[in-house]
Amino acid sequence: MTINIGGLTLKNPFTTASGTFGSGRELAALWAERGIPLNVLGAVTTKGVSLEPWPGNDGVRVAETASGLLNSIGLQNPGVEAFCAKDLAWLATQDVPVIANVSGHAEADYAAVIRRLDREPAVSAYELNISCPNVDSGGMAFGVDPVAAARVTAACRAATARPLIVKLTPNVTDITVIARAAVDAGADALSLINTVAGLALDPQTGQPVFDRGVAGLSGPAIKPIALYAVARVHAAVAVPLIGMGGITTGQDVRDFLAAGATAVAVGTATFTDPFTLPRLIAEWTHPSA
Amino acid sequence: MTAPLCHPERSEGSLRAKSLAATTLQNRALTTDLFQLTLDAPAIAATLAPGQFVHLRLPNPAHVLRRPFSVSAANPEAGTLDIVYQVVGAGTAELSGVTRGASLDVLGPLGRGWRPPVGTRHALLVGGGVGAAPLLPLAQSLPAADVVLGAQTAARLVGHADFAGRVGADHVYITTDDGSAGQPGFATDVTRDLLAAHPYDYVATCGPEPMQRLVAALARAADVPCQVSLERRMACGVGVCLSCVVTTTTGRARACAEGPVFDAAEVAW
Repeated sequence: MTINIGGLTLKNPFTTASGTFGSGRELAALWAERGIPLNVLGAVTTKGVSLEPWPGNDGVRVAETASGLLNSIGLQNPGVEAFCAKDLAWLATQDVPVIANVSGHAEADYAAVIRRLDREPAVSAYELNISCPNVDSGGMAFGVDPVAAARVTAACRAATARPLIVKLTPNVTDITVIARAAVDAGADALSLINTVAGLALDPQTGQPVFDRGVAGLSGPAIKPIALYAVARVHAAVAVPLIGMGGITTGQDVRDFLAAGATAVAVGTATFTDPFTLPRLIAEWTHPSA
Repeated sequence: MTAPLCHPERSEGSLRAKSLAATTLQNRALTTDLFQLTLDAPAIAATLAPGQFVHLRLPNPAHVLRRPFSVSAANPEAGTLDIVYQVVGAGTAELSGVTRGASLDVLGPLGRGWRPPVGTRHALLVGGGVGAAPLLPLAQSLPAADVVLGAQTAARLVGHADFAGRVGADHVYITTDDGSAGQPGFATDVTRDLLAAHPYDYVATCGPEPMQRLVAALARAADVPCQVSLERRMACGVGVCLSCVVTTTTGRARACAEGPVFDAAEVAW
């Protein structure tokens, strides 16, 4: 049984949440100790890549919350050329579909990254990050406005024939409005959700822990929010959905599939246990084991 | 100006890391808030180099982040790891309640450890509080060293007896902020005097970052190569999440992969 995500065929419904897996090299080395190849995954979704290198945010970048994790990494990445030379060159040897997560400050940046990556046979599909709360221009600014979401989606649609997935933010009044805008502009599938905007204060000073104040909440704490978003969007649009947000257990996977997701991504749980994905895949493949 | 001791390629250490269930052999209070944890983890103890760290998963699943810990002793023969830690928050408080026989999920060895210049003969090691712990296996591996241990109070001193056993009691210099042990004052004051008096060929330091920064500046003034061990909030521990970055002269580096031990000269303080 294979999974179809808007034209992308996967052997199982499991991928990685962007930014929690790098490009897979480090986790693959760890998994290899137990004889697990990277291509147990349905697909690798890579860390967000932009046209030029981005340095990411200053100051504290992560803080734990009850059953959750706040992050403010700020999409640090080496830029698309270094990504092609190092990450994609390695991924091309791994016999696994690659979903390249794409970031930008402006519409034209997203499309330019996709045009560059479209020359790389190792890339199978794109996931547009219009939902990161941790950068000032671009990121979530596109994902909270249906007009902006449609424009960036359309610009990327024009740049590639490969499957185009748009990753949505929960930090909106009605996520179905953004979902419809992205689908109408040419999205083949949607990923949901990105992190939930949150704040942490230093108990000593009362000041924000993170330099930008806001940070993105992930982990089991946000699973109900993500599940609700998947169910609502599933009722609103006809495209396949990749569900994510706190998935840690086999029951979480079944919940997201039942709510309407066609595939799932695991993020924070990989930090807690780097073998979460192989465990969930084994459980899904052999439910009785 | 000292030459860089290494180039910032990523660690082979993380690529050899193993994840295993380790049995707790001991978890005892050294003082009111300092604890020593001993784990049965042969596959990690066999390859862990001085200055590398392990990433522990806490028993309560509400803690989604593992906690990184320096290792104060890795014993390949016994297959054990010793970890000295200070209770500073909810995670370490929970860890202090782990009892003998309990199983802990351990990932390691991780990161790059100490890399003294080839032929190092006489080193100066400067530890602040619980930061002294990762200097212990380094002291074991060097032919000779002087050790400066600083702490707020006598109850926060770590490893002084072990260091004395290794380098000789008259080569261990203790300072406390309140004068409750050793010389009243800061480890950096003694460091300055020792650097003026002896021709060291390597300085290694771990502890509060302002202390490390000052030690690095003193070593640089004395033209002695220096390495620091930097602590950052960390998520994955294996190099993928970019949470634990350190700003260096050549850009952002990951404390979990390029570090935690960095050449002082490459850190942009």
